[in-house]
Formats: sequence, structure tokens, C-alpha cells
Amino acid sequence: MVSFVAMTATQTHRTIDALWRIESARLIAGLARLVRDVGVAEELAQDALVAALEQWPRSGIPDNPAAWLMASAKHRAIDHLRRQRMLARKHEALGHELEMDQQTEHGQRQSGVEHEIGDDLLRLIFIACHPLLSAEARTALTLRLLGGLTTAEIARAFLVPEPTIAQRIVRAKRALRDAQVPFEIPRGEQLAARLSSVLEVIYLLFNEGYSATAGEEWMRPALCEEALRIGHILAELASAEPEVHGLVALMEIQASRMRSRFGPRGEPVLLMEQNRALWDRLLIGRGLLSLSRAEALGKGRGPYLLQAAIAACHARAVTVEDTDWPLITTLYDELARLTPSPVIELNRAVAIAMAYGPAAGLELADQLLAEGSLEMYHLLPSVRGDLLAKLGRYEEARAAFERAAALTHNARERRLLLERASACGSGGLHGIHAVDC
Amino acid sequence: MAYMLLIVEPQGQRQTRSSADGHALFERMLGYTRDLQARGVLLASNALKSESVRLNMRAGKPNVIDGPFTESKEFIGGFFLLDCATREQALALAEQCPAAEWASIEVREVGPCYE
Repeated sequence: MVSFVAMTATQTHRTIDALWRIESARLIAGLARLVRDVGVAEELAQDALVAALEQWPRSGIPDNPAAWLMASAKHRAIDHLRRQRMLARKHEALGHELEMDQQTEHGQRQSGVEHEIGDDLLRLIFIACHPLLSAEARTALTLRLLGGLTTAEIARAFLVPEPTIAQRIVRAKRALRDAQVPFEIPRGEQLAARLSSVLEVIYLLFNEGYSATAGEEWMRPALCEEALRIGHILAELASAEPEVHGLVALMEIQASRMRSRFGPRGEPVLLMEQNRALWDRLLIGRGLLSLSRAEALGKGRGPYLLQAAIAACHARAVTVEDTDWPLITTLYDELARLTPSPVIELNRAVAIAMAYGPAAGLELADQLLAEGSLEMYHLLPSVRGDLLAKLGRYEEARAAFERAAALTHNARERRLLLERASACGSGGLHGIHAVDC
Repeated sequence: MAYMLLIVEPQGQRQTRSSADGHALFERMLGYTRDLQARGVLLASNALKSESVRLNMRAGKPNVIDGPFTESKEFIGGFFLLDCATREQALALAEQCPAAEWASIEVREVGPCYE
């Protein structure tokens, strides 16, 4: 027992809260292997937490609190399995399943050793990000099961009412149970598809935090931190997959710019205008390391690895002019071939403009405008406005910025775009770039 | 949020161990490092050798003093730079550090000297 400090109940609760954040994923993962249902596993883990909240303020925090939580939760899991079995006895038809349960329970008792924690966590990540679930459900469930976030915290992060998130999570768990999704690590051909679903969820979380899609706040850093943490866990567990390291590299390099993305009034500062002295060198170093880990695997470049390579070009450049724009252009070419998308084409247009002049970039941007697929996307008129202004076509530039302002959902970004529009009107020009590539 | 765990070891303690004992402890620390990595919270870590040199500049001239520094009873034997949300999380992770048994773990938040 921790006896040398008399902890107050509040301190104990803060400690339990901290423990939950760092231990809950392992608890739930270990329990899910026993009970084969993430919903039940989460409830059992929560029960163990409630028991700790009741006992620890009175008895003190045990010497090994993580082990206490796991032992307490496992007792509950065994009780749960027993009850299931009793239920099964009452229904003769389920006799066979009962036998199966006993076999698995026996098998698990023998294999329940430390090194399996990693496999359990990996299974949990794969199940939380199962393609059966909608993207929204996957992100909420991942934050809940892997991040140890409460429903209220997740709701705050996504700016939606708490009952919405609660319902999303309940439905997701029910969907997994109804479909009897096995608690396993996908192998062979399945692995690639399932892994891409996991990476998508992690990057979605990161982006939701990095570039808030709605509301006053430009960034919600807690989501970025959570995405990075889950990314790091995955990079250890699936270290032979280049795309995992590619995604981690991409997030680390983007996160390195967090401090430079706001001005003093909280207004967004875009990549080319950022004070590079504020970039976090530690995160850049880690990002470049993750990138080299991915490249060292020598399995070719996927979309995350390519985006990380592009981000690395910016990270390595001391100034905007120092940036290897021709290399970025070829990386975008490769990315566009792999995953054709008008958004990538738009970024390619910006890179081409930087490497070969605004006219060349505008040509591609105008093609995109003619295609009409980015009609509702504010960054297309924003980029066009920037390139038009550089070419001295201020009247057209102003119209483009106004169009962009009308399309964005972010209040701060709208103000920025309107400022740029009025700057064009007065003939003045300070070229800040609209794409954060 | 980043927190630094500094391993504060008693001066001369390493020399009292047999090579096998020392390696066994170091192996436990490597296990702890792997665990932090698997939790996705480790930003950087390393052990530090015992030998040290101190340098300061006074009146424009560098003074270099070789250790060991007998006036201090402790020295920094290693560090872990962690990415975690709260001081309590950093403390909970520090509690699991094997070196807490034979040294002290100083937990410091990373941040500017003056706010």
C-alpha cells in the first residue's frame, strides 16, 4: 500500500483516472479474449474500475494497481462465463456451445501469458475498426476502447451531444455481436484490407483534431495526441507494415507544426507562412525516423508513405524557397496514380505552381474547376484565388476568395478568406497559400 | 504534453554491483522501455554512462572540470521522455519503472523556463 503519503479521496480519484487512461485498453483487450465480446469486456473492465473507485479511497492504492484491476476484472469475467454456462445448461440446445466454451477457457488459461498482451491489443484495434461499422462508429469505438476516453470526452471532441455518441457506441457493439465478428488478427489477403480500415480510422481521428471541420476551434489537440498514441501502438504491433510507419511519420510531421498554425489572435497560419522556428524538431526527427523505417522495409510506397514523404520535404526545408518542389510534384504524380482524387490533383496544382510558376498551376486548377467534382470544396477557389492574385488578375482572385469563404464551415477560415478577398479589391497583395500540403 | 522521467541514482551505486547483477537490472529497464513503446507513449529514452565532465563559461573563459563530483550524492543515470496527458499518468508510468526500486524517478513536465 502507498502509506507514506496520505492521499485525499480526490487525489486517489485522479490517480485512478490516470490509470484508466493508460491501462483500460489492455484490460479490455485481455478480457475480450476471454469473453469474446468487446461490449461485455468493456462492461467488466468498467465494473473493475467502479470497484477500485469504491475501495481505494478507503484502503489506499494497491502496490500494483494495474495488476489489481486486471485480477479483479478477470474474476468478473470468470463469473460471467459461469453464468453463461448455467444459462446454457437450462437450454439443452446450447449444450454443444457450452462444451466449446469450456475448451476455449481451458486453452486460454494455459496461454494467458504476458507476451500475448500485444496480440490482444492488436485484435482489439482490428475489431474496433471493423469495416462492418461506419466511419463515425469506428472512430468513437476506437477512442472508447483504445483511448480510454469517456463518452462525454468523445462527445466534446466531436462537438456532438453525448447521447449521440453513447448511442453510436452501443449500436457499434451490438452490430459486432450480432455479426459474431471473431476476435482475431486477420491474416493473408484479408490483412491488407483490414489494416487499411484501421489506418483510415487513426488518420480520421488525427485530422478531426488537426483541422476541425466545424466550429470556432481550428484544432482539437487531444484527438491528435490520441491518434498518435494509437498509431505508435500499432507501429510496434505491426512493425512489418510500411504503411503503418508511413501514417505515423505523416502524423508526427504534421503535428510538429501545431504551434505555428495559429497567429497571436488565434487566426490560422497556413504552411508557407508559418514560422518554421516554431516547428517541433523532436517530432520532425521522429517523423523522419518513422519514414526511414517504412522505406527500409523496401515494400514499395503506399498512399500514407507518399504523403509522409511529401510532408518530409517541407519539414527538411529551412525556408519555403528551399523546398524541393519538383520532388513534391513527382511524389504527387505517384500519389495521384495510386489513389486518383481531385483533392490530390489540387495539391499537385499547388506544387506545380511552386515548381514551375503560377500559370502552370492555374492551368491544372482550372481543369478541376471545369470538371466540377470539387464544386463544394472551399480549397479549390481558395487556391485559384491565390494563383490568380499572383498573376495580377485581382478581380478574378477576389471573386474566387469570396466563393471560398462562402463554402468553408470553419468560422476563422472564413474570416481569413474574406480578408484576402478585400485585400485583392484594394489591389494590395500578400500571398499566403491556401493549401496545407 | 511531454514529461521527462529522470533516473536519479546514488553516486557509486553501480560500482557495488556484480556485472551479472548490473546486466540483469539493465535488462529489466530495457523491458520497461519496450513496454512504454508498446503503450505508444515513449518519445525518447536512453541510459547515461557514469563518467561526466562539467563545463561553464566565466568571464568569457571556459572551465572544464572532470567528474566524478563528490560534492553531489546523486547523478542522472538515464531518462525517458514520455508523451502523456497528465502528471498523474506520468506518475503512474514512473511507478512501473524498475529503477524506482534502487534509485529515484524525478518527474518533470517539459515546458519553457518562464511562462
